[in-house]
Amino acid sequence: MPAQKILLYPHPVLKKVCHPVTAVDQEIAGLIDDLLDTMHAGPGSVGVAAPQIGVTLRVCVVDVSGSRHGKENNHGQLVMINPEILSCEGGAVMREGCMSVPDYTGDVERSTAITVRFQDGAGVERQLECSGFEAVAIQHEMDHLDGILFLDRIVSLKTGLFRRKNYK
Amino acid sequence: MMTRLENLAHFAVTVVGKDRPGIVAGATGALYRLGCNIEDSSSTMLGGEFSMILIVGHDKPFTKAKLLEGFKALGEEMGLTVSVRPLSRDESLHRAPEGELCMISVYGSDRPGIVYRVARALADRQVNITDLNTKLIGTEQEPVYVMMLEAAIPEGLSVDDVAMLLDEIKKELNVEISVRSITPVSL
Repeated sequence: MPAQKILLYPHPVLKKVCHPVTAVDQEIAGLIDDLLDTMHAGPGSVGVAAPQIGVTLRVCVVDVSGSRHGKENNHGQLVMINPEILSCEGGAVMREGCMSVPDYTGDVERSTAITVRFQDGAGVERQLECSGFEAVAIQHEMDHLDGILFLDRIVSLKTGLFRRKNYK
Repeated sequence: MMTRLENLAHFAVTVVGKDRPGIVAGATGALYRLGCNIEDSSSTMLGGEFSMILIVGHDKPFTKAKLLEGFKALGEEMGLTVSVRPLSRDESLHRAPEGELCMISVYGSDRPGIVYRVARALADRQVNITDLNTKLIGTEQEPVYVMMLEAAIPEGLSVDDVAMLLDEIKKELNVEISVRSITPVSL
């Protein structure tokens, strides 16, 4: 499957609450392929959520293993269907950028450790404990499934929102 | 074909006055009536003075004199000082600073020269300050000076190098200085 075009805000799909997936069928398999291809095509991308490619279903993919922030602590490539956070702890601020909101980055506080339950690409239920950058990336992608952008989470515009400078 | 930018005249506008309700509404109302678009802005209250810095655009032709004229009544009515600087096309093209970003926190007993010494050391190494805020906290008897600055580090210099560079000033001025990387993560 080719990489899909990433929708940019103000596309209305990015503010929709996505529907749960009821059956992991051919259509979902195709969506997962599209999400993975899109993630791999984005320079430095560590995750993509279905609404970012125009599909309002609760599916996202995350892989921080290639990022310098996540390479020491990750579960590899994750396909997450109907993900739910069961518990979270800690809090830390990171400056986040989003492919759907180009040119800006913002300081967002996220939990530093989460327990997340989801179905994987084969429809098998899994539960993982994630921390560090992987936990941040999962929270960011899961926000997309509820129509929440990092702009909704910035604590202070004065000190929290920045014109994008550079990414590494 | 002319690009959108070539059709626009850009200005840096600063508005300063004793804080009171209505300054933002007054200033942005004046800009709206003039047909100006606010492209970037930062406003805050400092020691009872409210200050606004705005980058505005307007379809050409448009002049600094017209902008100042549009603020005349408001400035007199609310006691505001308004200044306008026309920006050349090059100046209005935003260029993102290069290099890794870091946040430098400096705090300690208040004394003159903290900002200067840190800023001079950074400037001598071509470290570019992109944002700077200072505050006086603590008690009247023991005021504590806090400075937070964001800076872009040039190629060839690391966050650790900057920390080492500031370490000497830290001892000299008897202040705490911490440097951390804040290069954004792409999600």
